[in-house]
Amino acid sequence: MGSYPNPIRPENFMSFPQLFRGQSVVYNVATMAIENDLDLMLRVRDGDTVSFEILLRRYRLPMVSYFRRMVRDQGLAEDLAQEVFLRVYKSRERYQPGAKFTTWLYRIATNLALNAIRDRKDEVSGTPGDDSDGGTEFERFIDPQPTVEQRLVQGDRERLIRQAVEALPENQRAAVLLHKYQEVDYRQIARILRVSESAVKSLLFRAYETLRIRLEPMLREGRI
Amino acid sequence: MKCLETEKLIGYAYRLLDEPAASLVRAHLGDCPRCREIVEQHGRLDAVLSEWKTEEPSPEFDARVRLAVEAQKSRSNAWAFRHWQWTRGLALASLAVLIIAGVVWFARGHLGVSDSSRVAEQKPRQAMGAQAPAQVANLHSLAVPGDGSLRPVQAVHGNKSAVGFTNEDKVTQALEDYDLAANFDLLSELPKGEPRVAN
Repeated sequence: MGSYPNPIRPENFMSFPQLFRGQSVVYNVATMAIENDLDLMLRVRDGDTVSFEILLRRYRLPMVSYFRRMVRDQGLAEDLAQEVFLRVYKSRERYQPGAKFTTWLYRIATNLALNAIRDRKDEVSGTPGDDSDGGTEFERFIDPQPTVEQRLVQGDRERLIRQAVEALPENQRAAVLLHKYQEVDYRQIARILRVSESAVKSLLFRAYETLRIRLEPMLREGRI
Repeated sequence: MKCLETEKLIGYAYRLLDEPAASLVRAHLGDCPRCREIVEQHGRLDAVLSEWKTEEPSPEFDARVRLAVEAQKSRSNAWAFRHWQWTRGLALASLAVLIIAGVVWFARGHLGVSDSSRVAEQKPRQAMGAQAPAQVANLHSLAVPGDGSLRPVQAVHGNKSAVGFTNEDKVTQALEDYDLAANFDLLSELPKGEPRVAN
């Protein structure tokens, strides 16, 4: 379960010239070893830019993909991911290692994403008749069976999945994305969304059940 | 057989249950094809959702983040420099005020009264001294008649003052008061035990 790749991969580290610029080799090799995020963040707090680079490399993909799935807009997703790293850097001196680093990171990300979604909702509601939004397309999808079949035949499964997830309410969507795609534990999701653990479970139950019903044609097809 | 709640089945499918609850569901699934079907559907859903692949960020993403961080660093440095300048200015001004206050305190407290202030205080008294003859003459006029002959005040005016002092008494008292006032500072500055210089 879970398709998210391990973010700690060799290709996620910086190139050697980049890494060793202005730093001792021994120090950088030690830093490059798999360290927990907390230690890296504490070093960033002390002004270590190499540790910040490692965190950036480690979480650039999770952040950008999380935002892409949350806000549906690639450009906006990268802007928001950039803003997350900037906020991490800005608040490095105030960072207190009380919770997991990823909890803090995803809390920043989720707040930014939810704000962006609400801002865009306001913009969309101000321009009536704009049905470029995926939701409208999704409504066409869930109703008539032939259209679904057509789309499946067209190999558009990924788009249908995306639309089904995007049609979820914001909190359910955030919970599912964090749980399914970012592989975040439900206890941690509770801290990220600032709700109780039972509330997170409830969000996940409803979201997964809704998705099961909406994507039932795909499940029935057995094309997995 | 009574089916389990959907929440429990979903919780089991997505491993959201603790172990005792999960084993209960597992035991139930062996006997209930309907519940088993729901769990299997969620298993398939999980696989279907995994088809939504992760996409790499654009190649310039890292560079953009670095640029934004560098810009933030520059802003922070500029702010820190301005802050340092203000702090330094404030510290220098405070130091200057402290030095001035210290000098004044030292001059007034340690040396008693400064020379300049002593001179300034003595000047009115010297002026008083210059006026003294006139005042004395005035006082004397109470006792000395126009012909210059010394007579008791009582003889001139023929009566005593209401409090029972003669004019001569008043003159004497006034002269003593004047001397006391004029020479007070000099008297106070004389070392103790040193005999007073006779006028």
